[in-house]
Amino acid sequence: MQSGADPRDFSDLGARIADTLWKLRRAASVEVGCSVKRAVWSCGKTTLYRYLPLTGSDVAVRAAKHARPILICFALVNRPYILDLQPDRSLVRRLLEAGHTVYLVDWGDAGDSERCTDLEDYLERHLAGCVAHVLEAHGLPALDLLGVCQGGVLSLCYTALHPRQIANLVTLTTPVDFHTTDNLLSKWVRGLDVDLVCATGNVPGEVLNGLFLALSPVRLAQQKYVRLLAAGADQRAVEDFVRMEKWIFDSPPQAAAALAQFVRWFYQENRLLHGTLEIGGRAVRLRDIRQPVLNLYATQDHIVPPAAAAAMEHCIGSEDYESCAIDTGHIGMYVSRAAREAIPTRITSWLRARA
Amino acid sequence: MSSGFRPEAAFVSAAEHFFDLMKSFGAQPGAGGAAAADPAKLAGSLASQFEQWLRATQSAGPWFSPGAGGGSGPAGIAAAFSPGAFGQGPFNPGAGAWPFGPLPQGSGAGTPPEGQRSWELITQLAQVQAQLATHWHEIATSAASQFAARLGSLASGPPTLQSALKVYELWVDCAEAAYGATVRKDDFAGLQSQLANLSAALLVEQRKHAETLARAFGLPTRNEVDALYGQIKELRRQVAALGEGRATAGVHQKAQRQGPQRKAARRKGAQRPAAARKTVSAARARKRRT
Repeated sequence: MQSGADPRDFSDLGARIADTLWKLRRAASVEVGCSVKRAVWSCGKTTLYRYLPLTGSDVAVRAAKHARPILICFALVNRPYILDLQPDRSLVRRLLEAGHTVYLVDWGDAGDSERCTDLEDYLERHLAGCVAHVLEAHGLPALDLLGVCQGGVLSLCYTALHPRQIANLVTLTTPVDFHTTDNLLSKWVRGLDVDLVCATGNVPGEVLNGLFLALSPVRLAQQKYVRLLAAGADQRAVEDFVRMEKWIFDSPPQAAAALAQFVRWFYQENRLLHGTLEIGGRAVRLRDIRQPVLNLYATQDHIVPPAAAAAMEHCIGSEDYESCAIDTGHIGMYVSRAAREAIPTRITSWLRARA
Repeated sequence: MSSGFRPEAAFVSAAEHFFDLMKSFGAQPGAGGAAAADPAKLAGSLASQFEQWLRATQSAGPWFSPGAGGGSGPAGIAAAFSPGAFGQGPFNPGAGAWPFGPLPQGSGAGTPPEGQRSWELITQLAQVQAQLATHWHEIATSAASQFAARLGSLASGPPTLQSALKVYELWVDCAEAAYGATVRKDDFAGLQSQLANLSAALLVEQRKHAETLARAFGLPTRNEVDALYGQIKELRRQVAALGEGRATAGVHQKAQRQGPQRKAARRKGAQRPAAARKTVSAARARKRRT
């Protein structure tokens, strides 16, 4: 830097910091989740929600075209409200607008009584209960399943184990190959003694937050705040920012047994890819998935690298497989401008063709 | 929601850090700019700042809360950025909260010979953190030298807010590149795992001592409670299996009773919904294929 800086430029910066800080404080109590939903079933801490249809004649007409409901299975490690963050950033809302009947699985917070809850429980009691409820409510033999991130992995397992109940499967940022060379998270946990770590009990959400931030600390813990400052964001933009922050730092605690299994079976042993995974004594083979599959993933994902998701193509048994790479990052898949339009449109048109 | 959710604290901390970096770059906010920094001096100053930041925020790994009581939310991170946070590892005075639960202190922490194993683990943890420190140094030095080499034309001309932000973006790119190159190495990944394993082992060890006390007061231990949960889970499984057995038997009986009625209905042309027909025929097709 040379001398001759305009002092006003930097004094403006001071004023801008004060202004952004004031807006951040005002935004502290911002609400998340925008669509109206009703709890329709529960098991332990897991709750199945049904989103109420949007009102309006257009929507009502389109609703008739999608008789089969969509069940969204989100990750255990994050909260699902990212899919319905605010009206203009809501995958759920876009699906409702397109006339879909939307259900969502919320796994809740694992407490001390869930320390022994394992993947079999989550799949065969909780998710199976949700699926059974939806099928019974609609008098249908099969539904459409939309799995997101780790929820996509669970959805793949469920579909392989219960193929008759799933008509179409959509996966969003879902890893299948956990040992791709660019998977830093996998590399870090490869040497973890999961039994020992989980012997200490449920793993708090803060640990997961720390882990995700440590993947790219300067960008995630500093740069985004400086960019907010530089953008001179208005109150609405600051509120959007705070909603995202709220979600990022709102990871639920993880049931010790399920987390131990997930880390060992998927991250350490890559069983899903190798076809050696067993849940509840039953083999989970991706080649048993014969229903249509739409696989959506991000090209700049630092948590689920694109190669980890794209590997699905070579493993599943479906002859009707489609993939779509979106040019964004992991969280961008839920909230970025590109994804906000591209993803719901793609899902809706793909499902409509297979209704 | 993390109790440490305070984005404004993280924002203030990041802004302060931005100001500090600007000072290092030679643009003194409010002072009308400064003379161009010597590249070698600049690299040295940046490396030192960045290394301190890495030690404060990353030394404990993701397995600990980085800030005193703040959790790993923005506020926790902000607390970790403060100068006083340097050197506050989880086993140093003023350490942040242990995310797995409270670490027993005093008599709960055990005394020799019971506490011997705990002290061994603490020593090993300190060794791992010392090894990690060499990586922080490597990352910081590499980031600073990359930055000094790439700064070039960005440093010319009078500093404006826009040019300062460009310089800052370059710094972030260099810092992330240097960090990414090191943390992907096998030895670094091994240290991360060791850190987590040792931390967990220490907690398990200290919990043993705490449970000794719990037993003295007739309180159930964690293992006993877990065993009970295990039994409840097994019973639940058995009940579910019994329920399924009953339901299956019921369906068989119903099918036997309804057999003649169904045939009659089919003769009358009764049909299932289209979606059901389609799925059933798809399932049959799959069955035939297999």
